[in-house]
Amino acid sequence: MAESRSNTRTETRASAEVQLEDAWRVVVLNDPVNLMSYVVMVFKKVLGFDETKARKHMLEVHELGRSVVWVGLRETAEAHVFTLQQWHLTAVLESDETR
Amino acid sequence: MKRVEVKLSLPVVAPLLDVIRELSAELEKTLAAPQALHDLDQEFRGAWIGELIQGQNDDLRTLLSLFDAEFATQGIVAFDEANAEPIVRACTAFRLFIRERRLKSLPDEALETGDVEMAGLDESVRTAFMCYLFLATVQELIIQHLESSIVGS
Repeated sequence: MAESRSNTRTETRASAEVQLEDAWRVVVLNDPVNLMSYVVMVFKKVLGFDETKARKHMLEVHELGRSVVWVGLRETAEAHVFTLQQWHLTAVLESDETR
Repeated sequence: MKRVEVKLSLPVVAPLLDVIRELSAELEKTLAAPQALHDLDQEFRGAWIGELIQGQNDDLRTLLSLFDAEFATQGIVAFDEANAEPIVRACTAFRLFIRERRLKSLPDEALETGDVEMAGLDESVRTAFMCYLFLATVQELIIQHLESSIVGS
């Protein structure tokens, strides 16, 4: 039993490390062109945010110049960046430095 | 299907459409605004940009198709659930490109607020800025009336 518990802990830690190593951030940067209502709509459409969350991130972009809108595996992060760029938002992929 | 029809003043819109048509040939070959793709390898980056330009061109064609022969006689454009999404994106593409090519002399803050002394602008810049505002109005109209169909599609 003890050995079994130890193995479980090791596997859990290994799994968590893999997930953290694979974490990438999707960051949207401010631009002077896109309308606030447009950015809110794009966040809802592309990232599935509700109105409140979309507005929060839009205001973050507007006031702070950037907002991390998604964190996760690189492949999915790339797909989000591509779609946001299709909508002409300035979106970049960043390795998650917080791990 | 929800449909929004807008009657535009042809004499007012005609010079703005000239700006759009003049820039469209150039915009067909490039992204409306450069994107930072540092983390992608060269080959993947090329395919990525190519696909973005292809999608952008599809959107531009949909927007330009609004201003056809029928529009020239009646001055009416119609937005619906089928064309709202490509048109709202194409408006952004043109606005970004107008800023790059025609409105560099205006500070970002003026573009964000729309607070520009029109009388002080050269005619070409004034017309470009009017076009920039016209496209924003089209976007606001679409978002106001058709956002739910865009988000839900």
